[in-house]
Amino acid sequence: MDTRGLCQYSDSVNELLARYGVKFGIYKNNQFREQLFPFDTIPRVIGAEEFSFLEKGLKQRVQALNLFIKDIYHDKKIIKDGIVPEEFVYSGSGYLTQCEKVMPSKEIYTHISGIDLVQAKDKSWYILEDNLRVPSGASYPMIARDLCRKCSPQTFHGNHIEDNRNYAKLLRKTFDYVNTGGHTVILTPGRFNAAYFEHSFLAEQTGAHLASGHELTVENDHLYFIDYSGKKEQVGAVYRRISDEYLDPMNFLEESVIGIPHIYDVYRKGNVALLNAPGNGVADDKGIYYFVPKMIKYYLGEDAILSNAPTYLPFYPEDMDYVLTHFDDLVLKDVAEAGGYGVVFANKMSKQEKEDFIALLKAEPRRFIAQEVIDFLDIDILEQGEFVPRKADLRAFVLMADEPMVWKSGLTRFSRNPDSFIVNSSQGGGFKDTWVLSQ
Amino acid sequence: MGIISVEHSDRLYWLGRYSERVYTTLKIFADRYDSMIDLEEDEYADFCERQEIPNIYLSAADFARRYCFDEEDPNSIISNLTRAYDNAIVLREEIGSVTLSYIQMAVYAMNKAKQSDAPLLELQRVRDNIVAFWGIVDDSVDDEHVRSIIKLGKRIERIDIYARMHLDKKEMKREIVKLNRRIDRTGLHFSSKRLAHINYLIEEDVLDHEELVQEIEALLE
Repeated sequence: MDTRGLCQYSDSVNELLARYGVKFGIYKNNQFREQLFPFDTIPRVIGAEEFSFLEKGLKQRVQALNLFIKDIYHDKKIIKDGIVPEEFVYSGSGYLTQCEKVMPSKEIYTHISGIDLVQAKDKSWYILEDNLRVPSGASYPMIARDLCRKCSPQTFHGNHIEDNRNYAKLLRKTFDYVNTGGHTVILTPGRFNAAYFEHSFLAEQTGAHLASGHELTVENDHLYFIDYSGKKEQVGAVYRRISDEYLDPMNFLEESVIGIPHIYDVYRKGNVALLNAPGNGVADDKGIYYFVPKMIKYYLGEDAILSNAPTYLPFYPEDMDYVLTHFDDLVLKDVAEAGGYGVVFANKMSKQEKEDFIALLKAEPRRFIAQEVIDFLDIDILEQGEFVPRKADLRAFVLMADEPMVWKSGLTRFSRNPDSFIVNSSQGGGFKDTWVLSQ
Repeated sequence: MGIISVEHSDRLYWLGRYSERVYTTLKIFADRYDSMIDLEEDEYADFCERQEIPNIYLSAADFARRYCFDEEDPNSIISNLTRAYDNAIVLREEIGSVTLSYIQMAVYAMNKAKQSDAPLLELQRVRDNIVAFWGIVDDSVDDEHVRSIIKLGKRIERIDIYARMHLDKKEMKREIVKLNRRIDRTGLHFSSKRLAHINYLIEEDVLDHEELVQEIEALLE
């Protein structure tokens, strides 16, 4: 398949992306700026059979993660049975005592999961990270596909590419399945959030209402949206794009001004669905990641279909020994960080930095994981008229309604820096569409 | 019909007002600028007075530059366009990406005009995009309340500017007729008494422009 045919339309597609305001917000020197998200027209292509394998593995993983969260906040069997040490559960910042014994609508915690994968040079796929709180990014390939199809219909004709513009339908199905009765709202921290484009675009595409915290109110154990005539409309589902701690100043971070007082009490009583469920951070901690294959075996009785990147927990003495012995070959990640921050490649450290880091590692072993550096498969991008290879990952989206649904596309992010593995948009990365072939 | 919050109804209204303000002030500016080329160099002073904006400009050339493009000047056209954009960007769900894109393109055209040696030519593109924005509001915004609130903002702004600038009475009358037809469809609270007074004022042989400005500004208060 000729995937480079779209390149001649690169400028046109990027102009259209600018026209439709496909941007992300970034704070630099305490100033907010909107920045276009650089799009590369050469897609990542995944064959039907290969994607079918990924789909099975992703569904399996998200089902196990959902069961894990439910277990942690209720029976805690996985801890009692010694599969996951309690230190990894309770000391992580993602665990919230407020979620103990609270059951979400239809027992679903992981409504929208963003699972980051990379493909190694031998074509094997590895899971890099699970994002179960407020993963973002699906809107970008969705709108990019629409614009690419406008610019070059012939590229898509007869190539049997799954249409990824159904993401809004999948999302709507996810909302409706858990809705407890009433409107669906997408709760945004506001225009100055990095992902505001996505919030507003998904509201438009799903027909949900985009709202800020002050537009919603709790009365008599129910959540209401107040319209401009003063009428109160009940809300049954909230796709919240704000993090747990800011969700409700009465139950979480008291100084939050973007949350809704008592929304969590409404949720606790089963009168509104929150997507994703609060407390999910307990399962997407980088330390917990190590245990996901064990969870799959424990809850589903199956071997994990998709592999983790080889990971070591310095918390375990034998892993600490390995990490110290093979330090230069590893990448170290601070479990509390995200967005590509807190990731250090040992071979890039100076002698002094290494000594300092090892001292920190020994003092706080729970804080870090170490991974073998996977030699990513490079993907071509078009740069100043030339094709150049760059590192790229894939964020796959799994949505959970009556059954898990894997979106037949994904956000492929690439590093624009030839020497970097960091693909995050906040660090200058760009994105590509992901084509999944239907046959 | 969707539900619209107080904040969004306010933003819809101001999107209508600011987009109209940009369009009409650009139109007036282009006409005045043309006459300043070979007639009265300080005509901009009268423009400022009528618009009730401080005359901070040093010359016609300074006025032409700063009134259009000075982002630090809250009365400049670029500042008004930024306000239109700031309102539009949070209304994607109500007005749709396609409608929003015309405001975005007006912003790009304005930034291009700012860099240009012949800004009047580029500023025409700003106006073209705003005209297209109005067209697409009619064509693709299905919710009558949403459409009506934006258009109400547009009507009020146009009447306001025309009255301040003592422009065409016929055009004002036409806008007031449209205002009467539109205002009930917005669901917004307004003063019927003031509306009746506006209707009375426009029928007078000698129009009291100042009173009309006061009444139109207070219509929704």
